[in-house]
Amino acid sequence: MAVRIALAGNPNSGKTTLFNALTGSNQFVGNWPGVTVEKKEGKLKGQKDVTIMDLPGIYSLSPYTLEEVVARNYLLAEKPDAIINIIDGTNIERNLYLTTQIMELGIPVVMAVNMMDLVEKSGDKIHIEKLAEKLGCEAVEISALKGTGIKKAAELAVEAAKNKKSTAPVHEFAAEVEAVIHEAEEMLPEDIPEEQKRFFAIKLLEKDDKISGQMSSVPDVSACIQTLEDAFDDDTESIITNERYVYISKIIGDCVKKEKKQKLSASDKIDRIVTNRFLALPIFALVMFIVYYVSVTTIGDLLTGWTNDTLFGTWIVPGVTKALEAIHCADWLTGLIADGIVAGVGAVLGFVPQMLVLFLFLAFLESCGYMARVAFIMDRIFRKFGLSGKSFIPMLIGSGCGVPGIMASRTIENDRDRKMTIMTTTFIPCGAKLPIIALIAGAFFHNAGWVSWSAYFIGIAAIICSGIILKKTKMFAGEPAPFVMELPAYHWPTIGNVLRSMWERGWSFIKKAGTIILLSAIVLWFLQGFGWVDGRFMMLEAEQLDSSILAKIGNVIAPVFAPLGFGDWKMAVAAVTGLIAKENVVTTFGILFGFGEVAEDGMEIWPQLAATIAPIAAYAYLVFNLLCAPCFAAMGAIKREMNNTKWFWFAIGYECILAYVVALCIYQIGSLIIYGTFGVGTVVAFLLVLVFLYLLLRPYKESSTLNVKMKTVRARS
Amino acid sequence: MPLTMAVAGEVNTIKKVGGKQETRRFLENLGFVVGGAVTVVSETDGNMIVSVKDSRVAIGKEMANRIII
Repeated sequence: MAVRIALAGNPNSGKTTLFNALTGSNQFVGNWPGVTVEKKEGKLKGQKDVTIMDLPGIYSLSPYTLEEVVARNYLLAEKPDAIINIIDGTNIERNLYLTTQIMELGIPVVMAVNMMDLVEKSGDKIHIEKLAEKLGCEAVEISALKGTGIKKAAELAVEAAKNKKSTAPVHEFAAEVEAVIHEAEEMLPEDIPEEQKRFFAIKLLEKDDKISGQMSSVPDVSACIQTLEDAFDDDTESIITNERYVYISKIIGDCVKKEKKQKLSASDKIDRIVTNRFLALPIFALVMFIVYYVSVTTIGDLLTGWTNDTLFGTWIVPGVTKALEAIHCADWLTGLIADGIVAGVGAVLGFVPQMLVLFLFLAFLESCGYMARVAFIMDRIFRKFGLSGKSFIPMLIGSGCGVPGIMASRTIENDRDRKMTIMTTTFIPCGAKLPIIALIAGAFFHNAGWVSWSAYFIGIAAIICSGIILKKTKMFAGEPAPFVMELPAYHWPTIGNVLRSMWERGWSFIKKAGTIILLSAIVLWFLQGFGWVDGRFMMLEAEQLDSSILAKIGNVIAPVFAPLGFGDWKMAVAAVTGLIAKENVVTTFGILFGFGEVAEDGMEIWPQLAATIAPIAAYAYLVFNLLCAPCFAAMGAIKREMNNTKWFWFAIGYECILAYVVALCIYQIGSLIIYGTFGVGTVVAFLLVLVFLYLLLRPYKESSTLNVKMKTVRARS
Repeated sequence: MPLTMAVAGEVNTIKKVGGKQETRRFLENLGFVVGGAVTVVSETDGNMIVSVKDSRVAIGKEMANRIII
């Protein structure tokens, strides 16, 4: 018999660890239909007919966050055969709050009390049998980290599912409240199953506006609500929340023995230092310095160098070429495979080791609990320009690769804040933009260090200015949502979980290399290898590049970039191939200047490039590439996360226009200062600066109405 | 008085949770209920980390000002 078990619990209760322990590598990750909430499904280890569904981490079954709506719609509409409710034993009161709600759904529940090792260590005692009895369901002690008790939890859940005996909730509220709930239950339509009546009655009393979508007809319970509100002088939702906590405190007294202690926990002591008013930022800066120093400069550089030069440079590319020649493959096919596909994709894969090291660090910081503190520390600063502290994590990850960075914006609950974060995350130079910086710095500025520093500075400035400017438009008007975030206690993460998280992010980058970049490498190879010579379409020799299809296309686009100082078709084409993948820009220059292959920083083409345009135009070119629409893979991520075509185009359009305007101003005003050139372009540039200043400094909109409504979410209908 | 004025380490009782409906609900679900105990763990510029129902919650200044103890 196929059994479906849902895993429900608070965020940070160890749900993902338990899920991984229960299912191993047997997982399927996707999205809930219509929303960008992650959906994880897996098969129970050793029992192929048992499906485990990992619900998003929630604090309650109220309809205020996307996660809560998704979780409860699944539980109501799909009715899993059993629920494992994972509970953080160190924080049992708050966790039981969700349990009392899950118990009302009429589905067999098994409570898995997690972190029992920590509870014992602190000297507390939880009487598990008593707890089970008081809540009316099975309960087991587990430690998801160490893997103890999880087998028993799964067995109990499967058994409960097979018995189909739904456990009726035994918790009771104050008599007056119970009476009103009964009254409301009587009014419910016939088709609601007996065991779910309490849930629906309470939701109606709480004036839950999303519950009506789950019912055939909605009775009018306003009289009941009135009775309750008059009796308690409060609104119904607060009354019921209170009743739940009152009940929980009552049973906690019987079931949990707490060591009397006033001392701060170890976690609190760390927080005293790490989030200290004066030390927070220096500590954070130090941590970030170590992370980037190790992952970019030392280990990362070593690994990337080895992958590029040794693995691809001396083994794979020549190896493939030789092999193809040995089987007398046609010249054009050898060219396509060796120079087009293998070299193109290889250039991208060269970044993978570096990125994996960065993601390894970030995964560690995330799972040990420091990342949540970073959001808290940065909130002070980010709030000043209209973003929330939670926007910082996507940007941090985005400095490795924009795709997982954009995906990390999911943790931001507020719709406006999330959209703004998605739009601005890719301004931070990602790993793939570094070669462009190296190329420009090397060819035009004698490798000056300020070029790469200024690239990050421009990225950050673009985020700050965009935050301020966008916040002053109608679309984003209003205060950022107040910062509220649970901080998990500091703990050592398991190696398995850190590696898994690193791999999930890295994989999204590798996938892009395997699909979109592979395809674009082929297209690009074709466009630059074929063309018309004397009116005849043919395959070109390297020196006939000017006649290629690519040159034709480049010549059409080039005038658009003329005001920015780089109207040469080669520059235009390179910028366009940058849309496919940013590291393509350097590769394309290599091809266009007649070098089959160039080093990561394009050292071979520095003299030729320097002869093509002026340094100030080159800098404008660099800035344009940093700020304009990201690569296709990141654009795809933007589309997925925005979940709305209009918003997707708005984001891309905004980025491109900003890039164009900034590059134009840099080139025009820069030329005026350096060469004294003055023309129409200079006037336009100054006008744009004025418009920019106006947008930046005008007063905030008064209106603070939220005009971006959360999409109504329905489980598969 | 608002929570922002509480002394770190002292146990206080919540008298009222104000603010926008949605945020208030979120706080209630997290354990900020009237009559519940709340302790400030650390504070920076009005943003604070508080201990409520055995969990640590970081809240911004705006929100902390609306929790009356």
